[in-house]
Amino acid sequence: MKKSKIAAVALASLMSVSAMAGCTKTPGATTAGSTAPGETSGAAPAQIKEFSAFFAVPATTEINKDNEIQKIIADKIGAKCNETWLAGQEASEAVGVFIASGEYPDFINGGDAMKALYEAGALIAWDDYIDKYPNIKEFFSDYEWSQFRQSDGKIYWMNPFENIYGEDKTTTQNGEAFWIQARVLEWAKYPKIETLDEYFKVLEDYNAANPTTHDGKKNIPYTMLCDDWRYFCIENAPQFLDGYPNDGSCMVNLETKKIMDYNTTPTAKRYFKKLNEEYQKGIIDTGAFTMKYDDYISKLSTGVVLGMCDQWWDFAYTVNDVFKTQDTEKYGYNYIPLGLTIDKGIENQWYTSGGTLNVSSGIAITKNCKDIDGAFKFIDDLLSQEIHDLRFWGVKDVDYKVDDNGLFYRTEEMRKNAADPTYKTKHLCTYSYFPQWSGTSRDGKNAMMPTEQPSEFKDSLPEPVKKVFDAYKVNTYVELLHSVNKAGVWFPMYSYSNNMKTDTAGGTAWTKMGECKHQWLPKVVMAKDFEKTWDEYMKAYAACKPEDFIAEMQQELDRRIKAYDDFVASQKK
Amino acid sequence: MASNTIRPEDLQAHKKVKVWAEAKRQPFLLISSALLLIYGIIFYYIPVFGWVTAFQDYKPAKGFFGSQWVGLAKFQKLFENKTFFLAFRNTLCMGVINLVFHFVTAIAFALILNEVRIVFAKKFVQTISYMPHFLSWIIVTAIVRDILASDGIVNEFLMNVCGNESPIDFFAIKGYFWWIVAFSNVWKETGWNAIIYLAAITAIDPSLYEAADMDGASRLQKVWYITLPSLRPTIMILLLINIGNVLNAGFELQYILGNDVISDVSKILDVFILDWGISQFDFSFGTAAGIFKSLIALILVCLGNWTAKKTGDERLF
Repeated sequence: MKKSKIAAVALASLMSVSAMAGCTKTPGATTAGSTAPGETSGAAPAQIKEFSAFFAVPATTEINKDNEIQKIIADKIGAKCNETWLAGQEASEAVGVFIASGEYPDFINGGDAMKALYEAGALIAWDDYIDKYPNIKEFFSDYEWSQFRQSDGKIYWMNPFENIYGEDKTTTQNGEAFWIQARVLEWAKYPKIETLDEYFKVLEDYNAANPTTHDGKKNIPYTMLCDDWRYFCIENAPQFLDGYPNDGSCMVNLETKKIMDYNTTPTAKRYFKKLNEEYQKGIIDTGAFTMKYDDYISKLSTGVVLGMCDQWWDFAYTVNDVFKTQDTEKYGYNYIPLGLTIDKGIENQWYTSGGTLNVSSGIAITKNCKDIDGAFKFIDDLLSQEIHDLRFWGVKDVDYKVDDNGLFYRTEEMRKNAADPTYKTKHLCTYSYFPQWSGTSRDGKNAMMPTEQPSEFKDSLPEPVKKVFDAYKVNTYVELLHSVNKAGVWFPMYSYSNNMKTDTAGGTAWTKMGECKHQWLPKVVMAKDFEKTWDEYMKAYAACKPEDFIAEMQQELDRRIKAYDDFVASQKK
Repeated sequence: MASNTIRPEDLQAHKKVKVWAEAKRQPFLLISSALLLIYGIIFYYIPVFGWVTAFQDYKPAKGFFGSQWVGLAKFQKLFENKTFFLAFRNTLCMGVINLVFHFVTAIAFALILNEVRIVFAKKFVQTISYMPHFLSWIIVTAIVRDILASDGIVNEFLMNVCGNESPIDFFAIKGYFWWIVAFSNVWKETGWNAIIYLAAITAIDPSLYEAADMDGASRLQKVWYITLPSLRPTIMILLLINIGNVLNAGFELQYILGNDVISDVSKILDVFILDWGISQFDFSFGTAAGIFKSLIALILVCLGNWTAKKTGDERLF
């Protein structure tokens, strides 16, 4: 893990150079004899277009240059894309460098820094193109597309994720939860865990009875990641504990439609007091505040961590694959989500169904791209069913099989392959940050993603997780949470706050609040005298002028509600 | 007599010829200094024009000429920011600690190495010791992290040999951070920094040592009364140059080793500029902070130079 980090950082500069390679056409690349059937528009052309892309997130998997499925896709649609990822930097730093140099790759997803790219005039407007590409157009409803409009009224990017085609087949809690290892639940005889206090009680009891892992390593009952932007793992739990959904930076009162601050609520204080108590008891990892993301993932991968609060995508893809390839799933190291609240009887909204549209970021095409139509066609083709299946299911009979009813399934070996890092880099090519569907395939039978195929999902679960599902009588991770969806039309508010910068009073407050929380939350958790430290923290927090931030968020909330009402009104006419 | 008098015109002509002849004799020197001059203009003088952005609300889309002028607003914002002063204090402290360690260790190392009489051993040690200079800071940071990790060599030693019960989390204790930075600098740069002193030592007139031998000076006395005083001009010049770099107290170490628990002491100006300037796309704010930093460096160099002038030592200008 550490080695790879060094290499990653050292290569960062090199990669950003390669990311700048223009939209060059490589002539004479191999031509596939077969013409792509189905919805892929047009026959395979004689030459493969090569695009470049930069994604302002660290790569989960960086695929090889001669990746097999990438080549199959290229042969079918006549284009490929070389992807580069964030390495050792923050999204806005990397994007800042692109802006300063004025050199962009063909595709870019700048994460939280999309607005800066737009303001720097780096992006191509989509409005004239969307109608020409049916798979792109179909991706969002008119109202959803309209939410992407920027200050000049045009659309510059689309969010690639969390969009459901047809019937919702969501099985996994992709968002945040308090997670607990299956082995703990099994030992505790699958109790009903609803509150924070119950959660820590189970962790403590289990650890007292079983202080080590199967290979004798000492358990860490609870850890929390505070590294950089990933400090949401410690910071935003109070909103959920009060029964609110992941608006990310604030809570919205459903009745009064007013923005509320979750940092100063009584629940927040109780939550941090609990963490403080557990820290003093030695239940919380003493290294939590100094570990980096890499350290965190290595810790989880060894199976020593009994529980933590995190988002599924932040750990599960890496950690679950390690459990699978290392064959340690059988010890019950996999994590189960719990929909905790601060007191019993509060309806929780840890899971928000129906996909979450984050309009603040997405994939964009830059002004440096020389073949804009080609770039749109590339996105369009990736969304066609055939290519979508290739991206996420793989090659038929190699990565999945089809039964007599036309249902896709995988053998145990295929599943192991799909979790194997080497296999992923040389064979699989998901174009993971290009637009993608979840939900039901266009064939009406299968799921868009293997993880959402009901039969496949169930079969691929590790034995201890299956037992948990049976014990709680549920079929999916989502059902475990018992979430009730009450999110309004404005949801999620973080799609606005993510883009706030110091050029407004609200943005300055937002940056200072972040700095203040980064600085104080570790102190609060570690403090010998909690009450005193909490008061000091509250004073420092108030000095950041959170009211400026709240005011700006309120404006945005009002704007969103009005925009929706206007849209509904315009539809009625 | 009259034929011998030199007329001013002749002198002028003679001078011209002389300059030209001189120039013809050393084309390489002239070309290389011209290149240096061009290099200096391109990389040191032209970028200074970028400083205008500190007085603008600079937006890349609008450029230098289209951005709005805001006077000293960015500086005001800078001086209202508490984190800035924290970062400034940390930078200054780490810079001064680094500077002191830099000089003491490099000079001491050069003196000790100079006393080694076996040529092979001397060359060997010297080569090994300057190797870390060529490692990137990222690598050094990773090494430091591994060494000081809870399962690293230092903690293993403390627990197995010194009998500590639990590992020390070096990166969670505020008091350690500056010293970890200083130690990393010493480890990486001492050998390299000593080279210049070793070179200066070889230039010392051997007859001084012979004379001292005649007078019965011990080895220590020779170091104290001959080597060190002879190094004094070199030390002074290097000190003056390095004073200007005090505020460049590093970036990678603090950026990667710093964390929320010790951010009070680990946050350094360059990281602050990254956080509040580049990450916020407020390039003007970053530039303002950069200008402030340069200004302080300039003042420090001038002060140092003035002191050197007063004490009659070597100086830069």
